[in-house]
Amino acid sequence: MKLRALRLYNVKRFAGRGVAIENIGDGVNVLTAANEFGKSTSFEALHALFFQPHSGTPNSVKLLRPYAGGNPLVEADIETADGRFRLTKQFYGGRSARVTELGNNRLIAQADEAEAFIADLTKGGAGGPAGLLWVRQGLTGIEKRTASEEEGDRRVRETLLSSVQGEVEALTGGRRMAEILAACDEALGRLVTPTLRPKTGGPYAQALDERDRLDALEKQLAADVTTLRDALDRRRSATRRLAELEEPEEVAAREQALRAAEEAWQAARSHSETLRAAEADLALAAEQHRAATSALEQFENALERAALVERQAFEATEKLNDAKARQAAAATQSDRLQAEAMAAEAAERQARADKSRLDAAQAARDAAERFDAASEKLAQADIIRTRIETGEAQLATLLVPDKALAQLENHDLELARLRALQSATLPSLRMTYANPADISASLAGQPLAHDTDQSFSGTVDLEIAHIGRLTIRSHHVDDAAQAIAALQDKIATLLEAIGVDSLAAARQRQNLAREKSNALSLDRQLLAQLAPEGIDALRETVTRLNALRGDAIEIKFDPAAISQTLRSAEERLDASRNAARQARPLLELAQQDYLAAHAALARTQAELHALEAILGAVEQRPAKHQQTSGVVQACKERLLAAQTVVAPLRATAQDLAAAELTLKRLRAVAQAADQEIKLNRENLADLNGQIRIQADKAIEEYWQETRDLLASASEAARRYELEVKTLDRLRNALTSARSAARDLYLKPVITELRPLIGLLFDDITVAFNETTLLPETVMRNGQEEEVDRLSGGMREQLSILTRLAFARLLARNGRPAPVILDDALVYSDDDRIERMFEALHSQSRDQQILVFSCRQRAFSRLGGNVLTMSDWTPS
Amino acid sequence: MFRFLHSSDLHIGKRFGNFPEDLRGRLREARHGALARLALQARSNGATAILLAGDTFDTETPTPQMLHHALQEMRQSADLTWVILPGNHDSLLADELWGRAREILPPNVILALEPRPVTLAANVVLLPAPCTTRRPGRDLTEWMSASATPEGSLRLGLAHGPVLDFSEDGAKGDVIAPNRASLSGLDYLALGDWHGQMSVNERTRYSGAPEPDRFKHDKPGAALLVSIAGPGALPEVTAVSTALFAWQTRPLELLAGDDGITGLEALLPAPDARRQTLLRLNLFGHAGIAIRTALAARTEALAPEFAHFEVQDRDLLTECEATDLDSIDHAGALRLAAEALLAESDDMALSADDRAIAQAALMRLFTYCDKIDA
Repeated sequence: MKLRALRLYNVKRFAGRGVAIENIGDGVNVLTAANEFGKSTSFEALHALFFQPHSGTPNSVKLLRPYAGGNPLVEADIETADGRFRLTKQFYGGRSARVTELGNNRLIAQADEAEAFIADLTKGGAGGPAGLLWVRQGLTGIEKRTASEEEGDRRVRETLLSSVQGEVEALTGGRRMAEILAACDEALGRLVTPTLRPKTGGPYAQALDERDRLDALEKQLAADVTTLRDALDRRRSATRRLAELEEPEEVAAREQALRAAEEAWQAARSHSETLRAAEADLALAAEQHRAATSALEQFENALERAALVERQAFEATEKLNDAKARQAAAATQSDRLQAEAMAAEAAERQARADKSRLDAAQAARDAAERFDAASEKLAQADIIRTRIETGEAQLATLLVPDKALAQLENHDLELARLRALQSATLPSLRMTYANPADISASLAGQPLAHDTDQSFSGTVDLEIAHIGRLTIRSHHVDDAAQAIAALQDKIATLLEAIGVDSLAAARQRQNLAREKSNALSLDRQLLAQLAPEGIDALRETVTRLNALRGDAIEIKFDPAAISQTLRSAEERLDASRNAARQARPLLELAQQDYLAAHAALARTQAELHALEAILGAVEQRPAKHQQTSGVVQACKERLLAAQTVVAPLRATAQDLAAAELTLKRLRAVAQAADQEIKLNRENLADLNGQIRIQADKAIEEYWQETRDLLASASEAARRYELEVKTLDRLRNALTSARSAARDLYLKPVITELRPLIGLLFDDITVAFNETTLLPETVMRNGQEEEVDRLSGGMREQLSILTRLAFARLLARNGRPAPVILDDALVYSDDDRIERMFEALHSQSRDQQILVFSCRQRAFSRLGGNVLTMSDWTPS
Repeated sequence: MFRFLHSSDLHIGKRFGNFPEDLRGRLREARHGALARLALQARSNGATAILLAGDTFDTETPTPQMLHHALQEMRQSADLTWVILPGNHDSLLADELWGRAREILPPNVILALEPRPVTLAANVVLLPAPCTTRRPGRDLTEWMSASATPEGSLRLGLAHGPVLDFSEDGAKGDVIAPNRASLSGLDYLALGDWHGQMSVNERTRYSGAPEPDRFKHDKPGAALLVSIAGPGALPEVTAVSTALFAWQTRPLELLAGDDGITGLEALLPAPDARRQTLLRLNLFGHAGIAIRTALAARTEALAPEFAHFEVQDRDLLTECEATDLDSIDHAGALRLAAEALLAESDDMALSADDRAIAQAALMRLFTYCDKIDA
């Protein structure tokens, strides 16, 4: 949308007159005029035209009215993509709103439709910023304000923060949004936790608790009512049943049936007893008959058997006698063979003893020979061993350790060396006697030889006969003497350890030891030859052979004959033993036969005895047979008699069991009836009590009441639930709208704003908060500055740039809107204003900008379309 | 000429758990008071008997106190004969109730517990059909056809139950034959069960409850005064008022341009009747936000004048106009939220519950804006 003209009449100071601003062009338009010329009035009128409904008279409309009264009229020509239109609004008297199409003067809309048309122009779609971007000394013109705020708006908005915040708030709902959200949260917080759970102790939770309590109570009462109704039902049926049971006819019928059954049972029982006695008698007779018959049978069988067994006994006696004879013959033969075998054994024993003696004599002879040789060897070996033992003892005393000897030799050499050294360094003197024969001088008490070097040490006295004593002192230090003395000590110790007095003696000892050792080796070899297994083994051999040697026996008979005798004795022994073995089975058989015959005889005789017990003596047997037969006959007759008694009784037998069952059943019926009567009476008593208790409580009324209460409580809980959902829905709608607005507009606006800032300030950069999207810090020449510290000029410039950024965004979205600046640059210096205008011009290619200013001089050379105000009267 | 009062469904003992405590007491007392008002109407109209066609008691086990008080009230009007018929709420299954009642029965009260002719007065025979159970499942009045009465006596039927079966599984025959009066030669059949007054035919009527207990029937509670000149004569029936409380349901349709208040004031009962009135206001149609707010304020102010006052506005659609939205904001996130909620409340793709919640949320947004901008 672009503004083309603005006209107003009867507005504020223009009471009864009008003013028009025509020919507003694209790009930057500038209207400069001194204060109180009506710039701000024009601005306010334009604002009212777009944002105040013609029908209302809010404060901002009241302010348009001249002091003298009147009906303000505002008119604007605009151009949109759809064409050119004239918008007219009159407030107060003759209030109206109309839209006409320019060119053909066609009325497009009026009244509310005109308002809708205008509203559509100023809205960038739902939630968008206003279609006109106002910078009236920092005003957005949308927010509602208190009177004092309205007054405050006359001053330049003081902080950049509040300036940009104005737009931010317009989009995000700002303070009102925050308050509404807070109210919403508070209302929710009263009812629920942050996770929308009912809050403990809150009214919602209480309502739920109450509902649950009533629900449980209602269920309990419903159960009680069911129980009560059940009890009533049961009482009814118990009463009915009791009446049935106690009806007199029923009772009489029950008793009658019982009596009849008892009589039937008595009759059946007495008949049954008679029958049972007869049956018992019959059984007894039958048993007696059976026993008699059996006795007779047994007697006759025994008779038969006795004849047979007697014959068998005779045969058995004969067999026994025969066996006895055979056994005697066999025994005789056996005894003879046994004797023969024993004789053979004795002969063999004698022959074997002779042979043993012969063998022993030969062994003793051998042993005696070997004993002589071994004794000889043992004697020699003992001599040699004694020699070795002596030699070894001697050798032990002669042995000189090789190491000691070597040490001794070393020490001897060292001593010689030291002595030579000593004599070479000692001071010496030589006496050459005048008369060599007269040795008249002595040194240290020793005669001093002629012409011989005599060394000394320390202090010595030289006594010269007849002359006196010459004391000679040598201060020579004799080191060697000390070493010699030490070495001599060592040598002495070593010699003492070896046990000799000189080195030569030691060497002689060593030679002696070596000779002794050689002699010992020879002896050991000899001993080994004589007793290769040791001398003890040899001695043992001698002892053993000595024992074996014994007294050699002289053998006086022929050894060959002795062997022959032994062989034949052995043969005889074998033959006799075989003969005896052959005879033995015969004897055993005879014995067995004898035993068998004996047993058979005993058996038959035992049986005969047994039969005799049954049969008695032979002479009484026929009488006894006859008597037994007579008993059988008598029993048979008695049995027939008993059977004739039982038969008719059996035929007329009655079913006692059935009679008894019937009786039992009828008794049970009577008893059950009694029991049931008793039970029902008890039941009735219980039920009466139970019902009385519940009925007194008016349980059903209570139940109905609780159901009603539950319905109310459920409704209350539901209302709270609905309230929570409503508030939650509202909160969600608000927060999502706010974040949508941020995403939709604020971020893109910041994106648009950044390059604009670059155009105006080459030395500063502005950082925006990512979440609030408000400018946070300003960097100038690398120094960070608080936004609040910026100069008024810079703040207002940033404010204008923000509007420009919005405008660019709208244009980009296909809804271009004019930016209107009313005295927006009061703190900026001319230089900055110039740069600002460069920025404006560079942006104004597709952006309409209206600048109202009182700074005529500063703005005169800034270019742009210059606007003028002219008088105007509505036609 | 025989004249009697026909009533039913007193439901003595009903507790009205869904009302506030104090109102509950008044409503209960009013039920008991109906007995006295019946007696008064009978006496002042020259009736000698009062037939109660079932559901005299609300449950099978009223408190002993309640029963005593009721019978005592009847004993008091010794000049009148009371007939109590068991209905579905106090059927014959309530033997505890009837057992106790028998124990303390006043001489002028007849318990019609058996389907047997009862002589009410000279030449007046009553044929009662007591409810045997809560749902008898058969026409209990059938026996009346076979019951002979002396020549020249009036035959009055007394029964409780529906003549039309509204339930889905209702098999034929478990309702009272609508033409029972003519089938069984009755001069009048006094029916109970239906809480509103209803005439089935010229000899068969439901008296309705003397003291209503719900909003369902809009007529004031009354009893029927029945006068019969003689056997075969058509009964003259007039309703006599017996109710203490009026239960009223009032629909109010709001259309564009209505301010709501005018319509509301027009349908309100006279101020002196309001204490005894339970009023249910059913709002439907369309209303703007301002009107809704104004109506809500008015009803809130009215409520204390009534025994009970409730507003049902489920069917009242809120109309939201552009200016309404402007009062929230011209633009920006608040406007965006409001428009989203508005769209949601009209979105037929959503469930009715969700739409209602969106609308409630929008209303709440208006309220909050109002409060903040005030």
